[in-house]
Amino acid sequence: MNRNDPDTLDLLAAEFVLGTLGGAARRRFDRARQADPFVGRRVRAWEVRLAGLTFRLEPVTPSPAVWPSIERRIGAAPARRRHGLMAAVAAVAAAAALGLGWFLWQESREPPPQAQALFADEAGRSLWRVELAADGRTVEVSTIGAIEVPEQRSRELWALPPEAAPVSLGLMPASGRIRLALDERQQAAIGLAPNVAVSDEPYGGSPTGAPTGAVLHVAAIARS
Amino acid sequence: MAQFAGMDTEPEVSRLLVACARQDRNAFQRLYELTSPRLLASLIRLLSNRAAAEDALQDVYVQVWRRAAQFSSDRGSAWVWLIAIARYRAFDLRRRERRPATDGADAIESIAADEEPHESRMALGRGATAALDHCLAALQEQQRRCILLSYQNGMSHAEVAGRLGEPLGSVKSWIRRGLTALRRCLES
Repeated sequence: MNRNDPDTLDLLAAEFVLGTLGGAARRRFDRARQADPFVGRRVRAWEVRLAGLTFRLEPVTPSPAVWPSIERRIGAAPARRRHGLMAAVAAVAAAAALGLGWFLWQESREPPPQAQALFADEAGRSLWRVELAADGRTVEVSTIGAIEVPEQRSRELWALPPEAAPVSLGLMPASGRIRLALDERQQAAIGLAPNVAVSDEPYGGSPTGAPTGAVLHVAAIARS
Repeated sequence: MAQFAGMDTEPEVSRLLVACARQDRNAFQRLYELTSPRLLASLIRLLSNRAAAEDALQDVYVQVWRRAAQFSSDRGSAWVWLIAIARYRAFDLRRRERRPATDGADAIESIAADEEPHESRMALGRGATAALDHCLAALQEQQRRCILLSYQNGMSHAEVAGRLGEPLGSVKSWIRRGLTALRRCLES
């Protein structure tokens, strides 16, 4: 790291903090920052300068399950909590009964998903395809049609295990496809669930860990 | 809507972190309640996925608990320290999974580079963020957009170029010039 070129060094520090410094250059710079306090101070100065940008984002309260997991991982006994979520389940059941409909999706690919579901709107237009990977540890969500999500709202995917509260699997994309990694609780929930649902939530997803907005779509899970 | 902590909570956050270094679990829980909504917002943007962001959030607070002693010896800003841990954790995860910043980020595209400050910033301390706002506003629009896109969404130069439909070379130079101008403004 060339201390004789402070402007370049400072820009590298700025791009390290920004995240635009990538690959081998980032690893080299990271080593230099840890080895050389002069470089470390430059990085710190940029962390301070740019930290305010984090406060421009709307805060998102974590799901209630996060804190007990942290407690477990640091060796503390987690507190037990219960949620009364049956109202949400009832809403979903009602929506399903209203015939929002479900569709199966068959497609041969390697390795084939162990289960899949297709969300459609009331007019029968396909919206999202949801596939549970063969190992049951990830879900892939692909958009099919044009999906409009109002600003400051998100669409959240839920597994609906029988006689249990809905379990969030993540946020739905408005276009393209995403892969959601499932933790053990999510894997268990989707393993048992006959249906999945999509709810309307504040931007970033439900703040409570349970559906808070309208259940927009329900789809049956077809298992291979 | 609940009132969320801003940078003006720095003295309390700093005090809680120092207590965490003494293994005070109540302080740790309070620290989590106070600061996690801000860190989660940042992680959701950087990882484009709430479930992955909440997993990363766990990693971040486990690290905070274990490394709290390092903070008290550093005596920097507690918020800056927490934000840095969260961001670098997200960068690590992204590199490991080779997850592009655009993947799944579309749902938030419309507000990807908020030109307008969010209302929650009403709760912020005046000094530092007001100066940053002022200096951001003084940048050229392209410079500001590029810097916000890369900082908030963790986009590389190429991803910013792709998102804005601008040449890579221009994006690189806007970011460099923007950062230089930002520093000059903040130091003046």
